Amino acid sequence: MSAASDDRSAERPEGLNQPRTTMRQPTRILIAALGGEGGGVLVDWITRAAIEAGLHATRTSIPGVAQRTGATTYYVEVMPAAPGDPVPVLGLNAAPGRVDVFLGTELLEAARRAEAGFLTRDRTLAIVAHRRAYTVTEKSEGGDGRLDESRLAQAVRETAREALIADYEALARQTGAALNALMLGALAASNAVPIPPDAFRAAIRAGKAADSNLRGFEAGLAGAPEPAQPPAPRAGTGPDDLPEEARALAAEGVKRLTDFQDAALAGHYLATLRRFAALPGADGALVAALARHLALRLSSEDVIRVAQLKLRDARRPRLAAEAKARPGDIVHVVEFMKPGPAEVLSLLPPSLARRALRFVERRGWMEKSIALNVSPTRPLGFLRLRLLAALRGWRPRTLKHAEEQAWIAEWLALVERALRLGAPLAREVAESARLVKGYAATDARTRQAWRRIMDAVLLPALDGRLPPDLAADALLQARLAAQKDPEGDALDRTLAAIAARIASSPQRLAAE
Amino acid sequence: MEVSFREEIASLRLGEGETFRGEGILAVTKALLQSGVSYVGGYQGAPVSHLMDVLLQSEDLLQELGVHLQTCTGEAAAAAMLGASVVYPMRGAVTWKAIVGTNVAADALSNLSSPGVIGGALIVVGEDYGEGASVAQERSHAFALKSSLILLDPRPDLPTIVRMVEQGFALSEASNTPAMLELRIRACHVFGSFVAKDNRRAPVSFRNPAVPARFDYGRLAHPPVTFPQEADKVSRRLPAARRYILEHGLNETLGPTEGELGIIVQGGLFNALNAELAAMGLSDAFGRLCIPTLVLNVTHPLVPEQIAGFCAGKRGVLVLEEGAPDYIEQAIAQILRKADLNTPLHGKDFLPLAGEYAPPVIAAGLAQFLDRYGQRFVAISSLAPAAAGAAKAAIGASLPPRAPTFCTGCPERPVFSAMKLLRQETGPVHVAADIGCHAFATFAPFHQGNTILGYGMSLASAAAVAGTNQRRPIAVMGDGGFWHNGLNTGVAGAVFNRDDAVLVVMDNGYSSATGLQDIPSSREASGEGRGKAVPVERAIKGVGATWVRTVHTYDVRGVLRTLKDALSDPVKGLKVIVARGECMLARQKRLRPAQAKAIAAGTRVVQSRFGVDPEVCTGDHACIRLNGCPSLTLKPSGDLLKDDPVAHVNNDCVGCGLCGEVAHAAQLCPSFYRLDVIRNPGWLDIWRLRVGNWLLRLLGGTPITEAPPLRPPAAVPVPAE
Repeated sequence: MSAASDDRSAERPEGLNQPRTTMRQPTRILIAALGGEGGGVLVDWITRAAIEAGLHATRTSIPGVAQRTGATTYYVEVMPAAPGDPVPVLGLNAAPGRVDVFLGTELLEAARRAEAGFLTRDRTLAIVAHRRAYTVTEKSEGGDGRLDESRLAQAVRETAREALIADYEALARQTGAALNALMLGALAASNAVPIPPDAFRAAIRAGKAADSNLRGFEAGLAGAPEPAQPPAPRAGTGPDDLPEEARALAAEGVKRLTDFQDAALAGHYLATLRRFAALPGADGALVAALARHLALRLSSEDVIRVAQLKLRDARRPRLAAEAKARPGDIVHVVEFMKPGPAEVLSLLPPSLARRALRFVERRGWMEKSIALNVSPTRPLGFLRLRLLAALRGWRPRTLKHAEEQAWIAEWLALVERALRLGAPLAREVAESARLVKGYAATDARTRQAWRRIMDAVLLPALDGRLPPDLAADALLQARLAAQKDPEGDALDRTLAAIAARIASSPQRLAAE
Repeated sequence: MEVSFREEIASLRLGEGETFRGEGILAVTKALLQSGVSYVGGYQGAPVSHLMDVLLQSEDLLQELGVHLQTCTGEAAAAAMLGASVVYPMRGAVTWKAIVGTNVAADALSNLSSPGVIGGALIVVGEDYGEGASVAQERSHAFALKSSLILLDPRPDLPTIVRMVEQGFALSEASNTPAMLELRIRACHVFGSFVAKDNRRAPVSFRNPAVPARFDYGRLAHPPVTFPQEADKVSRRLPAARRYILEHGLNETLGPTEGELGIIVQGGLFNALNAELAAMGLSDAFGRLCIPTLVLNVTHPLVPEQIAGFCAGKRGVLVLEEGAPDYIEQAIAQILRKADLNTPLHGKDFLPLAGEYAPPVIAAGLAQFLDRYGQRFVAISSLAPAAAGAAKAAIGASLPPRAPTFCTGCPERPVFSAMKLLRQETGPVHVAADIGCHAFATFAPFHQGNTILGYGMSLASAAAVAGTNQRRPIAVMGDGGFWHNGLNTGVAGAVFNRDDAVLVVMDNGYSSATGLQDIPSSREASGEGRGKAVPVERAIKGVGATWVRTVHTYDVRGVLRTLKDALSDPVKGLKVIVARGECMLARQKRLRPAQAKAIAAGTRVVQSRFGVDPEVCTGDHACIRLNGCPSLTLKPSGDLLKDDPVAHVNNDCVGCGLCGEVAHAAQLCPSFYRLDVIRNPGWLDIWRLRVGNWLLRLLGGTPITEAPPLRPPAAVPVPAE
């Protein structure tokens, strides 16, 4: 290292005369990882490689609750050494605005550091794995609570001097190495720290799983692929008498319903869409929303459908891949099905089913259910699923079907009535079908939430007690609240607020 | 525990002149051996668990040196252990996590410090303060003040830390006062090097046992000698300590000898201070300061003449002291006043009263101080605020927190799934939470827990809720907390007082949150091999509890049923549910290598994992809200019509079975399936599959796996995961 050459007297504020100061600056590296991801190993490789390369190095960590998927941070300072150097006083804390290299194993945590000012335009090289480990908050929503990945990446790109955001995880999978080895390779390739690749290699060799990690390191050193772009939305091919936005969805819907029941159901579906498309005021977005949700509701999952899906040919290769079975291994699949009385009895014709349900309810047996751990890879389990799936032709005669039809009819009627008050409100009513999903308890809960929202928001709008544009917004807010925290009280609070608005001054609202 | 510290253990053996490389807490461990300790004890807790963990695996070395090692059942026991140094010339060290551990140890500390010690006594506390801390934010300093302990706060570089350990013993002996060495989280984990010395054998140890001490009432913390002891503390021991600190240069005066301004800093904050001064052009990466700085490696007691000498003649002095209250600043103010010095004193007027002194905080405080006295410096024009703003704008949403959660497959998660189902069914219940992994249930998606009062304290903290609440409260306690003090303060107290409460003891077999240490109920064959397999139930029944049920945690319906029984039982009194399930982290550490070995050897092994059918999942994620497993995540549905993501089980799944249990218990959905993979199937498996597949084909199905030939070729090795 010829680092001593930059050792010269610094320009100092007047009045201070301290001899022999150095302008040498450490290179400061901040690493953000999640517990159990090997951040500690990564930082250990860097430190050891730095020492191997003859640098001054220190590092420390806030391991958080390592292994338990919380956020962890590691901080390293390395500095060229010169003969006769005293012991350096290196920092233990990353300072916002003073990070030279940022390594992030996950996009959200990288964005979090960017938001805390650790990434700056003047100096930070950010090496970030384009991958998400969703937080529990994101995963918990009833709909889609995921943050927008592209915006997280954008936050890194906009704040770093240079951002290398790549799919290191894919590369790690290809090479059979751990993600941290790939990241180390990328760091070595960047030349941002004065450590030659051989020093990194030596550090890896000194640790565990050296072979696979060296492979990963070399792959990272060679460069990483751009993150895979989400597939472009398919062109709108489909029934061309429908608005363009709705065509692809409608085509998919036809496919789904033919598979679910028969061509007649698909024909009924298309006819309904055409009828709505022809209504005055209907726009493409409305028909698209209907195309999506009507297909889903018409094919709402019952025991018959589940059995059908579980027997799909397409499922086998996926399961075999997940099982990582080697030749000679035996794989069995066990399904966790637990139909309750409501689900089983709703396969009967309506009148019979209702009587049976009343009987079961009187006896207090509604909570009783049979846990069926069915194995479709064994003859008996297969037979059971096969028989269930064979009930497809019977389905139109079931209570479940009748109830679903009634719900759909009510929903479509509401869409139609709302359309008279404008397309935005109709679109929101169409979108409200998104709330209804799931099986058994979930199905019941989501239907209840849907009905509450319709009663509290849409009916006042149809009565003229709430202006349509406000109602459309209120419907959206209520739907988001219902999905945000389905078992909690977010919907209660939102509906209460809407009720208060309606009650406070209808005249003023109407005037707005 | 399966974690191996081979490298660390080797570094404890380094001799004179060799270079030690490693983390701060390991350097402390080495320094203890260099100081000739007779005994070491402690109670686990981040960030100091490592000290005990490494020593536990260094049995040979401890044998050679004659060092007695004690894994104490609590910090009180550890502090009491220092009693050996009250009457014998034995050096001893104990360790725990502060502030909580020091609180628990407080009784013994008072009675240790009153008579004082004749052998050096050192307490290594992990000062769990600031970023990453997991305890109430208080300072160990208060204990040093009230019990007249010496408090060492070394500069966070290894040579200084090691020197302070060695000098700490000497200082403790010179002043007959126990010393406490505080290390912040970053200092415990700081990696560095120092030149080692030979380890020293203690004069008194199990290799060279002492003659039992003769009776000496003066060594007891018992009246009437406690009165002269109190006087001795201040009239003899304190001056002796000050003299030693001064004579051996334990505090360091760095930077120019003369200067108008001065800084007094806690040793532990020195590197952070230097980084900011360097950025202002007032120091460099080697700590060559431009402002006279007094580094307090000993923060209690202060040496008045040293402080007064440093401050005399200066236009202003800044005290950098982290946390509240500002004990040091107050003490310095008093010293200056009594020395009749009117040097202006600053500290908490420029720096925050509470909270970690992170770089921007120190920078802002320094800038104010320097500005006040017209000192020129390079203003730090940070781009950070602008960058933060830009990032915020780009993200356009508030970032959700990422709290730690139960590990994949954790046996405690199912209990909270059951408790959440219970809450959904029957309405709210008062939940007294405790310290340990189970405290993660206070985060999403469980949101359980109304109070946390301390380790093993949950049941005691519900004592006044039981009987004054519409429903029986539920107290949750880990087996770590149970053995630490929950058995006595909680169970025995509740039985004695006939408290009408429910206690759930998480019996996972280890003190898991602190790094999988063994506890009395650990099985002998697992973990560190130190467990005594004492059943938790036996201890509970032993103190008089009669309603005791044991449940297997993964049986969510069973747990739910038992909880309901406990809440609805007509007879008043304590109901204890022992929720059993081995810590998955420990289990996997043991099982994975064993399974990989067995598979490679051609032995029949069944491996399971769970999955979700994306076509069946409707994307409501109720399963996630009842589960929260890290391996249960989201992925795009792959269906144009379903635009919400579906649930997905990733490759980290350990097949614990909770997904299926929750799906059943909550009547969720039929999306979940389990894959059972029989590796190296036996002839019976193969024949059954042959017959099964033949029947399957007859029924019109296609088998997922073909039956292998009866005599399989040589086993294909799979790499260990």
